[in-house]
Amino acid sequence: MSTVGSRLLSERVRSVGVYAALYGAAALFLVPYAYMVSTSLTPEQFTFSNKPYWIPPEITFRWYDAVLAGAPIVQWGFNTFVIAATTTVLVVLLDSMIAFSLTKLDWPGKRIVFTIIVASFMVPVFANMVPLYTIITDFGLINNPLAVILPFSAMPIGVFLFTQFFDDLPDSVIEAAKLDGFSTFQIYYKIVLPLMKPAIAALSLYTFVYTWNQFLWPLIVLQGQQQFTLPVGIVTMQPTQVFQPGAEMAGTFLAVLPLFVVFLILQEHLVNAVQMQGTTG
Amino acid sequence: MATKDRLSFSSRFGSIDLTDAETRDGILFALPYLALFSVFLLYPLVKGFYMSLFDWNAFAPAQSEFILFENYARMLSDPAFWKSVRATVVFVVLTVPTLVVLGLALALGVNRDVKGKRILRTVFFSPYVLTVSVVSLIWAELYAPQYGAINYYVGFVIQNPPSWLNSFTWAMPAIAIATIWWTVGFNFVILLAARQSVPERLYEAAKIDGASSWRAFKDITVPQMRSAIVFVTTVQFIWSFQVFGQAYIMTNGGPGESTQTLVMYLFRMAFNEGQFGYAAAVGYFLFFVLVAVSLGNYYFVSGGDTA
Repeated sequence: MSTVGSRLLSERVRSVGVYAALYGAAALFLVPYAYMVSTSLTPEQFTFSNKPYWIPPEITFRWYDAVLAGAPIVQWGFNTFVIAATTTVLVVLLDSMIAFSLTKLDWPGKRIVFTIIVASFMVPVFANMVPLYTIITDFGLINNPLAVILPFSAMPIGVFLFTQFFDDLPDSVIEAAKLDGFSTFQIYYKIVLPLMKPAIAALSLYTFVYTWNQFLWPLIVLQGQQQFTLPVGIVTMQPTQVFQPGAEMAGTFLAVLPLFVVFLILQEHLVNAVQMQGTTG
Repeated sequence: MATKDRLSFSSRFGSIDLTDAETRDGILFALPYLALFSVFLLYPLVKGFYMSLFDWNAFAPAQSEFILFENYARMLSDPAFWKSVRATVVFVVLTVPTLVVLGLALALGVNRDVKGKRILRTVFFSPYVLTVSVVSLIWAELYAPQYGAINYYVGFVIQNPPSWLNSFTWAMPAIAIATIWWTVGFNFVILLAARQSVPERLYEAAKIDGASSWRAFKDITVPQMRSAIVFVTTVQFIWSFQVFGQAYIMTNGGPGESTQTLVMYLFRMAFNEGQFGYAAAVGYFLFFVLVAVSLGNYYFVSGGDTA
């Protein structure tokens, strides 16, 4: 009797502990966001005070005005969008085509091709950056969005993930389509692509976020202020604002906002894309 | 498999039979990706090794001087290189175990029967969608010595809180904490998926047998989630070993060179010093380390599995 009672009690204590730990951690996780937003809205006279203001005593939008007037942040957002969107379209299109070919079509040499692509997973992006820079220079692509789009479209992860999915697609579906007189191209875009919508949604969002967030490579190949992406731009902004945390956080918030809204709406797909990597990798 | 029905493919070349049509289509569908892959991934890999054997002249590559392995020899005898290796290893040690353990703890917590699972998942995962610049700028403000929020609270506990990012001792741990906040969400969602695919009946059976929750964790949870844990550990190692942005933005490698990581060293050698051949050699070193880790991990996983 008493053992059952103490067991119930200890379970209760434990579940209270779990709640406290989880929600405590969640509160800590939100601190940097809160700091960013409140600093971006706090007037200058309170910014450098010792005591942090989680809710600003007065609200000002002057840092946002300063950033929008002082830096081409809208242009950077547009550049980033063009690069991320083009890369996403290329990755989904080219990766699904080759994955379809590798899993559903038979041709000599495809085993070797697949092995090389899988092995290339091990090539760290940054180990390649010096030779890649000379190649981009030779093509005359410095300062061109293609300097980011093309190398990031060549990454093998999408090919790998799509082949996992296409493998699960029964061959009988393809066979039936062939008997109905479908050409290879028709099978690809009328049958395979529609059946693969969830995988495409997941990979699209993942590629978009991944490319949008790149820092080092765009820093190297996009050298003119008008060509910057948001991640590069907001960092270069730092010295020009004579160290005003408010302006810096306003710029940061503007840079976060578009992608964060997309994330909140479509997070299921992004979580799926990450989880796919864990289960197939 | 498709060789049987010759009628379904109409070939423009008339006499070509189906096997050839399938070969042709197969190659046509593979070609666009393979073109990009060859030019922007395979070719740089080969060219990088070639460049690493030269005193590379960035302005007139044809005039580069062939020096065989001299770049590698120079790298191994450069104290700044070893310093950057050391800084990188410190960062790896500070981040990888914490990221895996914290990711697992959060996953197991959220997997329990708690209210607000979805909100918790969103909160823990959300920093992962931020760019490194945003993460670094926010945390640099939080760490600011005079007015930063962290030192306001730390000041209650200790007299003179360190000025984190200017401290030889604390700069790297400070960068590591920001990184953990930023990327633990990746591990968390993968381990959460792995935990959710462990059959619940295993735990029910253990409960009937009177096993403690520690036993259940040790004998069911960990073995069942083994491949996911190994995957997450390897990926984190590979990422942490290539750390750049956080250190570049928050400390610019300082104070001294205490947070100058290997990729930052490579970046500086190439794009500040213009020593492309030497930087390519450093890149190859990075490449070999990470290949060794991936392969070691691969044999570890495939050797240990009973299946």
